[in-house]
Amino acid sequence: MSRFIAGGKSRITVGAALLYLSIILLTFVCLYPFLNVLAYSLSGYNAVLSRRVTFFPIDFNLDAYKQILGRPQIWMAMRTTVLVTLMGTFSSLLLTVIAAYVLSRRNLPGKKAFTVLILFTMYFSGGMIPTFMVVKGIGLYDTLGALFLPQAISVFNFIVMRTFFQNLPSSLEESAEIDGASELQVLIKIILPVSLSILATIGLFYAVGYWNTYFDALLYIQDPDKYTLQLRLRSLLFGEELNNSNANLEGIGTQVMTQSLKMATVAVSTIPILIVYPWLQKYFVKGVMLGSLKG
Amino acid sequence: MCSINDIFFAIFDFVITNAMDNYTYLCNSNTQRVDDMSKSKVASKRVYSKTIRRVWQCKWLYLMLVPVIAYYVIFKYVPMYGITIAFKNYNIFKGITESPWCGLDIFEKIFRSKTLWNAIRNTLVLNFTTLLASFPLTIIVSLMLNEIRVVRFKKVTQSILYLPHFVSWVVVAGIATNLFSLQGGSINNILNGIGFESVPFLSDNGWWIFTYMICNVWKEIGWGTIIYLAALTSVDESLYEAAYLDGATKFQRLIYITLPLIRPFIVTMLILQISRLMTIGLDAPLLLGNDKVAAVSEVISTYVYRLGIENAKYSESTAIGLFQSVVNIIILLAADKFAKITTEEGII
Repeated sequence: MSRFIAGGKSRITVGAALLYLSIILLTFVCLYPFLNVLAYSLSGYNAVLSRRVTFFPIDFNLDAYKQILGRPQIWMAMRTTVLVTLMGTFSSLLLTVIAAYVLSRRNLPGKKAFTVLILFTMYFSGGMIPTFMVVKGIGLYDTLGALFLPQAISVFNFIVMRTFFQNLPSSLEESAEIDGASELQVLIKIILPVSLSILATIGLFYAVGYWNTYFDALLYIQDPDKYTLQLRLRSLLFGEELNNSNANLEGIGTQVMTQSLKMATVAVSTIPILIVYPWLQKYFVKGVMLGSLKG
Repeated sequence: MCSINDIFFAIFDFVITNAMDNYTYLCNSNTQRVDDMSKSKVASKRVYSKTIRRVWQCKWLYLMLVPVIAYYVIFKYVPMYGITIAFKNYNIFKGITESPWCGLDIFEKIFRSKTLWNAIRNTLVLNFTTLLASFPLTIIVSLMLNEIRVVRFKKVTQSILYLPHFVSWVVVAGIATNLFSLQGGSINNILNGIGFESVPFLSDNGWWIFTYMICNVWKEIGWGTIIYLAALTSVDESLYEAAYLDGATKFQRLIYITLPLIRPFIVTMLILQISRLMTIGLDAPLLLGNDKVAAVSEVISTYVYRLGIENAKYSESTAIGLFQSVVNIIILLAADKFAKITTEEGII
């Protein structure tokens, strides 16, 4: 910047200032909804009642959080979501690694046919109802398995991982095979250790997907005890659940209390993502870049 | 359930025949190639046995692939067989195979219903509005981010801009309904504060489309910049230096150097997005929509859901899904062809 000032082109510095200002404004727009959630969830009863909250909490207190974390349903939903995220990420990663590894091998007869069969599902699928019927037919309905098995492999992630494997030097495998290692040993001992970054990337893609999944839960889960966090959140936000259960007990006040309760629930379900986010971000970006190179 | 057995048999049959076909195809193609080279039957026989030997050598790889194949057969290809119910009067007690065929009756029925055309129109309107806003904005934001020279500032900004992408639609919808509500929503509070009337963001048809668009742009714009930023880093710095020495202003450099260089990316992305105009995620319209704006918020995917799951009209719902898939494939193929003509590279 000093270069331009020395050159006497103050016009450009104004441009730069405008640029930085608009970027700051943009990040504010990105963050404001989150601030609003925090402000609401931390505000006092009267401020929420008269809906004066806009930027900062008024009459700061933690009542909404205390109340929401005191509900056993939230903890159950949290448990379910954590379980689904763990099992789902594990099985997705396992299947994707296998598919990508096998189909990245050079001399496999039928490789092309298998790959085409996988890619085809990206453009054409049975659709909601036939898939629903299959899930029901094999007895997965209303089980946690329905939340991760039906979309265990994402074709996008498969392509990313296969591209990565294909770009590994082939001498890695060849030398291991000369030593008499089996295919599985090659994968576990040679390929995976050098692929940790891509495993992290894809694993995180899957994990966030499972954490945020809500429509599959809406479709396949009936038992309220098996609700995921997002589904519980939905019924709290848009359903009758919260309004009914409280309104009878404490009268009109709770009707308004719900607004800060709702926002506290939003915060509780998003905070885990916010906590891990800074570490994830650089991996995600890498993954998208890899995916954009066509396989 | 007897129907599921039927499905398995049908698919088993299908897969076996297919596998055989593939196999013979493979052998044939190998054979042919060598035939051309040596023109001797002996060689072709040798190659045939060679293929078998190669298949045998790869047996562990095939074995590893079994769970993957099982997954695709059960959850992707069996449902494709289930599409047949779009041509049947599906009876839940008879199952898929036993239900009587009815030709194109179902399609006639759904195409005659106004709701479907309404849903198609809404899908196009919502997607188009979002594209209209998000496409140029994404490019502008990418260009702006690319101009930032303070590395730390750039990194922090990018982190913040990508963040909304990782938030679920339930959360976004929850925040939006609180933020945009007519009485006391923070946006309306701010508008009132600077002297404007309250705006019915969520309850008026036109405003709801706007709100839907804003939510989508907010969620995905930062994430969308990644691909452009990647393209921008590949621009040769020396071009800028040369232009700078020639006295080009920053704006001129942008117009005459940067934009032409990333033009292929822009065209490809545009074609890609246009090819997705008929596809719409179910989460956003379902969660943001409400009874008051049902006339504009009912899109194809939510209609399929309501018809199939809530009203148990399996055949109709599947038929709509199939129609959408077929239209999608046609658009995609057309877009691919178009992309090949304009940028000399396909998108599939």
